[in-house]
Amino acid sequence: MKIKKAVITAAGLDQRHLPLQTLVTPSGETKSVMSLILDEIFSTEIESAAIIITPESQRDFIVAVDKHLDRVTFIEQEKPLGYGHAVLQSKAFVEKEPFLLMMSDHLYLSQSETPWLKSLLSVAEQTGCPVSAVQATHESKLPYYGAVAGKRINGKADLYEISAALEKPTPTLAEQELIVPGLRSGHYLCFFGMHILNDSVMKYLEKSFEESPDKLPLTPSINATAKSERFLACEIQGLRFNIGEPYGLLRAQLAMAFASDQRDEVMSSIIELISSTKS
Amino acid sequence: MLLSIITAEDHQTRDQALAKLCESLEIDQLLQECDELDLFRRESSNLYHRVRAIFFLQAIYRFHLPEKLASQDTGSIPFNGYQKLLERHFEEAIDAFLLVQHNFGPSDAICSALASAYHQLAFQTLANQVRKSVRTVRGNQWMFRMGHPEDHPLRIRRELLEKEDHLFPILCERTPVRMDLTHSAWSDIFFLGMDFPRGAKVLNVSVDLAVQGSNQPPRPPVEAYLRMIDQPVLRLTSIDLKATTEIHSLGEVFDFAKDHLGLLKAAIIASGIIPPGIEGSGTSLKSLLAKIAGQGRGIELISSVNNIPKGSRLAVSTNLLAALISACMRATGQTHSLTGELTEKERQIVLARAILGEWIGGSGGGWQDSGGVWPGIKLIEGEIASEADPEFGISQGRLMPRHKVFNHQEIAPDARQALTDSLILVHGGMAQNVGPILEMVTEKYLLRSPDEWNGRQEALALLDQIIEALTQGDIRTLGKLTTQNFRGPLQTIIPWATNHFTETLIKRVSQAFGEDFWGFWMLGGMSGGGMGFIVDPQRKQEALTTIQSLMLKTKKELEHALPFAMDPVVYDFEINEHGTSGEFHRGSEATLPPAYYPLHLPNRLQGPRSKLSQTDQAELTQFAHACKINPAFHSSIESLFETILPTQSHLNSGNVSLKELLKKQGFDQLQHEQIRKNLKEGRIGLAQNRLAQNSIIRDVRETDVTNFIDRSPHPELVKIGENALRAGEVAVITLSAGAGSRWTQGAGVCKALHPFAQLNGKHRTFIETHLGKSRKSGREAGTLLPHLFTTSYLTHNPTKDFLETVDHYQYPGPLYLSPGRSVGLRMVPTERDLRFAWEEMPQQLLDEQQQKVRDSLREALIKWARQSGEAADYIDNLPLQCLHPVGHFFEFPNLILNGSLAKLLQERPQLKTLMLHNIDTLGANVDPALLGHHLKNKAGLTFEVITRRLEDRGGGLALVNGKPRLLEGLAMPREEDEFRLSYYNTMTTWIDLDEILALFQLTRADVFEGNLDQLTCAVRQVADLLPTYITLKEVKKRWGNGQENVFPVTQFEKLWSDLSSLSEIETQYVVVPRLRGQQLKDPAQLDAWLRDGSASHVASLCEWQ
Repeated sequence: MKIKKAVITAAGLDQRHLPLQTLVTPSGETKSVMSLILDEIFSTEIESAAIIITPESQRDFIVAVDKHLDRVTFIEQEKPLGYGHAVLQSKAFVEKEPFLLMMSDHLYLSQSETPWLKSLLSVAEQTGCPVSAVQATHESKLPYYGAVAGKRINGKADLYEISAALEKPTPTLAEQELIVPGLRSGHYLCFFGMHILNDSVMKYLEKSFEESPDKLPLTPSINATAKSERFLACEIQGLRFNIGEPYGLLRAQLAMAFASDQRDEVMSSIIELISSTKS
Repeated sequence: MLLSIITAEDHQTRDQALAKLCESLEIDQLLQECDELDLFRRESSNLYHRVRAIFFLQAIYRFHLPEKLASQDTGSIPFNGYQKLLERHFEEAIDAFLLVQHNFGPSDAICSALASAYHQLAFQTLANQVRKSVRTVRGNQWMFRMGHPEDHPLRIRRELLEKEDHLFPILCERTPVRMDLTHSAWSDIFFLGMDFPRGAKVLNVSVDLAVQGSNQPPRPPVEAYLRMIDQPVLRLTSIDLKATTEIHSLGEVFDFAKDHLGLLKAAIIASGIIPPGIEGSGTSLKSLLAKIAGQGRGIELISSVNNIPKGSRLAVSTNLLAALISACMRATGQTHSLTGELTEKERQIVLARAILGEWIGGSGGGWQDSGGVWPGIKLIEGEIASEADPEFGISQGRLMPRHKVFNHQEIAPDARQALTDSLILVHGGMAQNVGPILEMVTEKYLLRSPDEWNGRQEALALLDQIIEALTQGDIRTLGKLTTQNFRGPLQTIIPWATNHFTETLIKRVSQAFGEDFWGFWMLGGMSGGGMGFIVDPQRKQEALTTIQSLMLKTKKELEHALPFAMDPVVYDFEINEHGTSGEFHRGSEATLPPAYYPLHLPNRLQGPRSKLSQTDQAELTQFAHACKINPAFHSSIESLFETILPTQSHLNSGNVSLKELLKKQGFDQLQHEQIRKNLKEGRIGLAQNRLAQNSIIRDVRETDVTNFIDRSPHPELVKIGENALRAGEVAVITLSAGAGSRWTQGAGVCKALHPFAQLNGKHRTFIETHLGKSRKSGREAGTLLPHLFTTSYLTHNPTKDFLETVDHYQYPGPLYLSPGRSVGLRMVPTERDLRFAWEEMPQQLLDEQQQKVRDSLREALIKWARQSGEAADYIDNLPLQCLHPVGHFFEFPNLILNGSLAKLLQERPQLKTLMLHNIDTLGANVDPALLGHHLKNKAGLTFEVITRRLEDRGGGLALVNGKPRLLEGLAMPREEDEFRLSYYNTMTTWIDLDEILALFQLTRADVFEGNLDQLTCAVRQVADLLPTYITLKEVKKRWGNGQENVFPVTQFEKLWSDLSSLSEIETQYVVVPRLRGQQLKDPAQLDAWLRDGSASHVASLCEWQ
């Protein structure tokens, strides 16, 4: 199967201005976060993207998407009813086709030669299954992420078949339900913020929303899909930056700077700053 | 041979009894087996093979080798091995003892040391495994990995952080307790479930309770409350214990014995709020709380037990711990729901956490104890360990059992109602330590003694029948089966499961209800506390009141003989079909139990209202409103005033009667003040009890003693003795003035009246046993042997009353009581003495976590001593608990002072010899050969000694600077000196009456004349020749609802055996067999006493009628 569409969620109450933040890329260009995400998406065979936004924020995003405006559709989420609800808003846009789901407040830096997104798309295309990007994460970060349990697929070091997915589990529950052989003690496969989802997930989202219209998270629908059909998790070796958390943007910027020609200059500035600042 | 039993795959071989196999083995063969077992246990990787081999070794060294060894071999125990034992370095201790055995051959002494070392090693190995398993239960592991606040993965649920009307909402957890219909012979011990999962089965029922007559309907007796507070602290409150504290640092959370809030702290830790892995990290509590609850916030946790006293055998404390853990887990999102029942998985994790919490808190229960977490009636069974379990490959079974809750098709509502309609659930009032019983069960299970092993199988079969009776709703049969269980397997395995109180009660209930009394049911580990009586439902109402009054009557009769913590109570109960359940209250509904407010509001009311926080103001307003409209709060204002202004009469009541008592008992205030002064100035104290460091302490020479072990008594000696007996020249004095501090851990009952064991099918008191021996000796000699019991302020009246009640056991000879004539007032110990006792004297280290708790407790007690005033009068207890006897030296002088000796001489003018012995030396009788030996040698005093075993501590027969004498342990200049001594003092002494009167510079005529001044002066002169020892004793203070605290107190003593140091009286020593000389100091000795032939030996010396 070919993935031709992407959905980016940007409707969080605190996300309105994040994609507008700018960063200097390793090649020295200044770009908005949203523009960087779209660059990565459109470097693959994906043809169009929908951005889920809060009402009346479209004007800001038009600026942020920059040159990709003609391939982007804006969809407003009227009420903040959860991440799953934001995804559900894209139902008409995706038209039952599999699609890439990403978050606008996360930036990724690949540590392998094949870019992370290409790896993920390739898995989905080869297996025909929905796939979530995951990363082995220490249990202290469990309050922030969904996590999965699964079995490693023979012959594939980074691929797992998901048997269960739980939203922000406590370590107590994680230890009982989410132990994955081969991971270091106290580490779990947590979502990395990227998924290739299919129509089954949309159906479960719809069903859940009918049953409980107040709040619609995404993870239970992934869990339900994984119980009914093959759903994979692909372990990504990369860095993730949540630009919404304190100093998240700074860390992302530093990571990009260290990957550029300006590395030495940036490092010496930091050292100078440290030595001249009172602790 | 023995190894093949341990490693056998088939049950038939594996379940063979050790005792039977050892019967036919000679000493050399037994030693060969021991070598093989020891090598095996060092090398085996299978935990349970190893433990069984260790228990085999322990049993061989404790029972089978000593029986076959020539007991005159004195042997010695190396001090370095003893030290290693105290430090819990069991392997090194065993090596040290084995080396001595290898070099000098086996002896009774070294066998005792090896038995003790193997015993402790076995239990340590099992405890280590349980601890390891608790840590590795999935859901618990992460808590041991977390070591930094930034890594804390838990967050308080949002709902708890949202205030309404300035008040945080309250989470409430209500939990029933559990009663076990049968535990299949204590099969809920962890290791038993892990080694023998198919034999680990418990049927237990969750129940709500109310004390009968309280006019309250039954409700879950255990409650936990949790809410957020606007201070970065942990505020802990136990409503029933009236204790509260605010914890500001992490170290305090792990300080369990500092106050009465250890259980709440254990819950905070075991629930993961303060994970055990963070202990000792130096982290601030404030930052940890900020991470999980938000900046500046803290957590308040409150426990409440509704009127259920300690020792109920209903697992109140475990279920309270489970309730607290459940509340903490709900608050931190570790359960799916904030309210309602828990899911099965959540219950399992609460159980795992409760086991962890008990281990952290240094206590321990069975795996069925958290049964209240589950609803209704359930079968809890051991589970075979599967590949996914951490126990796989280590033990056959898992640590965590399986719970099968019976639904209403399996046990119909009618059957449940029938059980409720017939069962009278009671608390008999006794509070006893079940710990030794559980150790006995463990040991016996591993040794597979035939009777006990068959008993275990029978108990398992009975469980199936009990379930069948329950499903049929046939409560009459159920009663028959629970009685059969109690009478059969339980008492076969552990005879101490019953006691005289229980037996009397069963007999009286049976007499009162005849055929309508359907059965008795023992709850928990032993009877006397929580128990059940099953009656025809037609007579239940009548039975409720009758059994209550029978219990009260029986308790009244026995309260000086057995340790009762409270008056007995009867419960109303209902089966709880929900298990633990949560509620969530906000706004005006968010109130705490009424008794919470008098504990906290006085502090808040101290300052001006303007300084109160908004939350405090809101809470005060809410409390005021509740007092107006909520009937449960009606008496709260009164309680609040009582807390702020306690009534004067309440404060003074104890002291007035103490003063009266002191006056009545002839308390010497001048002497008391002198002792206080000396104590404060450091002239006397524990360290000063010791002889000078340059004293030379050596073992006695062969010529210093006469050996009476295994020697056919010389006919001439026997004849001399028999003649003296026949001529009426002998009387017996039993020292029974003491309260048996070790026997009941300071409960203050009369040891002499304790019905300690069944002999010839009946519970016998110490007094009855001693009279039984005198009856037999008298009959054999054709005389009536006079017997005199010395008493004290504590024991005189109860002993007198008791003897009247039992018609003096129809003792045919003269029987006298000699009341004490001196008394001391206990003092608060000095810090110096406490530190000397706990830090400078060799101490038995405890298991790691228990040791931590003990250290914390000791620090708290040192603080208590400082705050109460060192050497101040100890008066904060019942008056009788504040007094102390002043040492057994005074027991003989008391005979002179109180006229008992004069009375005895009037009755027996020909009296020449007295045999004096301790109440707990049960094997001592008027043996004609020993008497003959004493008379023939014309000694003033003949002391009996026995060969020493490891447990015989506290002095012995020594050459002190070249002179043989009995030396008290208190006076040993160096700890290791005692280990050079071959003989231990039994205290049994043959006394030449005229010689000892001469020592006091008195004659028979003086005794008859009874000039008190002259007699007092004579006693004082001899007393002045003897050292005064300062000792620390433990005393219990009872409070609340069956709660007990143990305090160390200082008292002084002069001791009888120091007479052996005087040159003014001729003294000699005889070595007697252990069966004659050993003392019963601790109830934990009873089982071995029964097994090693001591009990039957004592019974053979007695005639009961």
